[in-house]
Amino acid sequence: MEYILHFEVLDKTSLPRVGGKNASLGEMIKAGIRVPPGFAVTTDSYLNFITETGIKDKIYEILSNLKPDDVDALNSASSQIQGLINSTSMNDQVKSAIEKAYLELCGKCAVKDVPVAVRSSATAEDLPTASFAGQQDTYLWVVGTEDILSSVRKCWASLYTPRAIDYRNKNNFPHEKVLISVGVQKMVNSRSAGVMFTLNPTNGDPSKVVIEGSWGLGETVVSGSVNPDKFVVDKVVMETSERTISVKHIQCVHDPVGGEVINVDVEEDMQSKCCLEDEEIKELVRIAKGIETHYGRAMDIEWAVDRDFSYPESIFIVQARPETVWSQRKKGPLIGKKSGYQLLMEQAMKRIKIPG
Amino acid sequence: MADTNEGRFPDPHEVEVPEELEGWEEMYPSHYLFSKERGEWESSQFWYQDKIHAPEPMPPLDLLFQEAWQIALSQYTTRVFCIPPAQGIAQRMVGPYMYICAIAPPPDEIIGEKAALFEKRVFYVFEHYNELWDKWLTKFKALGEEMKGLEIPKEMPKYVPEDQVLPAPTGCYVSYDLIESFDKLVNQMFKGWQYHFEMLNLTYLAYLMFGDVSRKLFPGISESAIGKMVAGAYVSMFRPEEELCQLSRLAISLDGVADILKREAGAAEKIAELEKTPAGKEWLEAFDKAKDPWFYVSCGSGWFHYEGSWIDHLDIPYSYIKSYVERLENGETIERALDEVDRERDETVAKYRELIQNEEDRKAFDDAHNTVRTIYKYAEDHLFWVEHWFHTIWFSKVRKFGTLLVNNGILNEVDDIFMFNRYEIPEILTELATGWALGVDIPMRGDYYKAKADKRKKILKAASDWMPSPALGVPPEEVAEPFTIMLWGVTTDKVKEWLKGMGEVSAEDVSELKGFASSAGVVEGKVRVLKRLDEIVDLEPGEIMVCPTTNPSWAPVFTKIKAAITDIGGLTSHAAIVCREYGVPSVTGTGISTSVIKTGDTVRVDGDTGVVTILERA
Repeated sequence: MEYILHFEVLDKTSLPRVGGKNASLGEMIKAGIRVPPGFAVTTDSYLNFITETGIKDKIYEILSNLKPDDVDALNSASSQIQGLINSTSMNDQVKSAIEKAYLELCGKCAVKDVPVAVRSSATAEDLPTASFAGQQDTYLWVVGTEDILSSVRKCWASLYTPRAIDYRNKNNFPHEKVLISVGVQKMVNSRSAGVMFTLNPTNGDPSKVVIEGSWGLGETVVSGSVNPDKFVVDKVVMETSERTISVKHIQCVHDPVGGEVINVDVEEDMQSKCCLEDEEIKELVRIAKGIETHYGRAMDIEWAVDRDFSYPESIFIVQARPETVWSQRKKGPLIGKKSGYQLLMEQAMKRIKIPG
Repeated sequence: MADTNEGRFPDPHEVEVPEELEGWEEMYPSHYLFSKERGEWESSQFWYQDKIHAPEPMPPLDLLFQEAWQIALSQYTTRVFCIPPAQGIAQRMVGPYMYICAIAPPPDEIIGEKAALFEKRVFYVFEHYNELWDKWLTKFKALGEEMKGLEIPKEMPKYVPEDQVLPAPTGCYVSYDLIESFDKLVNQMFKGWQYHFEMLNLTYLAYLMFGDVSRKLFPGISESAIGKMVAGAYVSMFRPEEELCQLSRLAISLDGVADILKREAGAAEKIAELEKTPAGKEWLEAFDKAKDPWFYVSCGSGWFHYEGSWIDHLDIPYSYIKSYVERLENGETIERALDEVDRERDETVAKYRELIQNEEDRKAFDDAHNTVRTIYKYAEDHLFWVEHWFHTIWFSKVRKFGTLLVNNGILNEVDDIFMFNRYEIPEILTELATGWALGVDIPMRGDYYKAKADKRKKILKAASDWMPSPALGVPPEEVAEPFTIMLWGVTTDKVKEWLKGMGEVSAEDVSELKGFASSAGVVEGKVRVLKRLDEIVDLEPGEIMVCPTTNPSWAPVFTKIKAAITDIGGLTSHAAIVCREYGVPSVTGTGISTSVIKTGDTVRVDGDTGVVTILERA
């Protein structure tokens, strides 16, 4: 039984035990893409938990009495099961495994009680995820073993939303075969963050990586609430062809007191300072190229620079998804079937307009 | 001074030249002046200062190279290879500065006629480039040898030597030889410049074509990346430096030679010392073998008589050999990694190619690249043979006339001959021949010529403090002439920039310069302005070098500097290539860096965007 698996050891084949989300983090690490450190709470943990605590039989019993299309009964079964999972203390085996892994993570980050994100990671990727596993629960800025354990249980409980139960029933998918894993990942202590594209979104130039970034968490850049710093870097010769440093008045930070992320003012002397060092820009470009190669297509990537680590370990990829605007355009040839001589003739006939 | 009306350049006929330059008109052929007779046409064209070929005030005789290229460059475009919408480039002088104009396209029927000729003639050249290059080099070397062999009278003999009279009179004597040899020399130079452009227009056209294809595929690709994909490593212009490396290695392998070469002494002293030992003699033989053609290299661009060449300043190659020998003894590598440069180019091309999404486009990219690579060697190789080797021979021949005139009391200094244009010199030579023929005690007007040379030297000196308008006349609606775009970078932006700068031409007011982003990287630091190669001794390690242009004579400085800024030179200029090789940022072709930036200023050189910012004045 392996209750815990670190992200570094995961790959595609781990999917049945750690779910799709965790497995894909492992794949990214294998491809040289740095993601915030963390571990998967495996399906074994979940099974062990419901077995050892004895709630397993109760769950299946509640489910077996359900009649199709009885919405009230469905809702009540769901809340009974979720209540059961959330209120049952974690058994020692699983609890101590999670505790140990969390302490190791704190040690690695050199931060006591490092804040983490706790996310569910579904195992049955062959079925439409959203319908199947219910809301893919995510809990951010979770601090300390106790809160992590309860967040993990909340994730497990998400297997039993009314919608998920109903879906399995309608598709004759046995509830016993549905398992769930949870990912526990360090929250980036974000000094700077933003997005980047593996092509220039303004003109579709595939030879450029365009990076946008600002101080603090990436939300300000994603939502457009600050003018970000912008860098356009050539993938081949690595020249920076554009470098715009904006005045960044606000930054998004996590407020440990309120437990939420909030916008605060950026100190005056930092507002017009570039949010990235030259070496960080270079490293981001290198990573962007790697991600594009790994996925074989243009990508839209969220990144962050973590204060708790030193360069280059400080640079993390938070999210990567396919670029859609340029990738979905009809891909006709830009030049087409033309010989060198034809091109030369065209050039010879050309006149450059100079407006007077 | 310049007209300050915004959005307009001064009319070429209304430019006011400072009064210290009074009399400048007579230095140049009269057809080089803006004139009433062609007034309407001249006013309707767009003229801009040619800072590439004439960055400094123009000595009258050195204008001959410009005269030669005006004809040669233009004819290949208009009459030989017939680039359809392009016409030639016209030149004019305003004060001692040269303005040029890419003439507006011809009528449509001419464009049609030329298109047919272009296809037939140009494609042939591309098909046969390699054999054509061999033929070119053979005939060019023959021409240079012919010039070298040209006999110029060394003296005006009291009596014609016996053997020219008996047993049969030769029939013509020094009075004729003087005129004939000068005519021949000028004609050879003009012929060389006709050859110079034989394939150059096509080379530039192909380069522009490849640039355009690259920009279609990668809209934001930089000029320096395009240059990197085209430029080669095995270029004649780098041979002088390679020869020095080989001589340095040879010196180390020969007994006692390296020690002599390492001394703090002039070349003459070292040569005398080397003559004393067999090993030294062996080395000197190797030096002499390499000398022609490879040390016939100008210390500057080759365009001005005062720049000098290695063969007349042996201290230069000897001082380089000294430092190479020392570096070899320290276990350093001195050779440029040429294979590495070629490999890097191929790798760059392959990486961009990989980014192309579409099979058809990849094929077009390959074709475009092969086309430009086929012919681009010409742009890289002709330069050494014409501007350096051939010009070096020319200058040494002209100085023979100068010496003769000094010896006969007509000039004060040998180089004063360069203060007279190519039409005036036959007049001076004729006066000398006449005086000689007339007999003894015949007065000649040496004082007249000496005074003239002095006055002209003063005019040229005064002109270096004058910054005339960057452009004159009416900006054109379109430009089609390949040199204009590639060499001078005349584009919409450039014209706008010039217009912006109108009336604001004082050097202290300039805080930013734009040039070619020719070697990537951004650095800040203190500047050393080197107007001439001999100022190199002042350069301290880690300084940013600002200079008019560089060539292999400047090679050793690149290991010392933090960045380079030049007035002249594009992405495939010597400075650009060497800086890329050493990973030193550079901005080339800024036009005015040596006049605007002063030693001790702090600047930022952005080799990624081609911008130089003056951060703090010294």
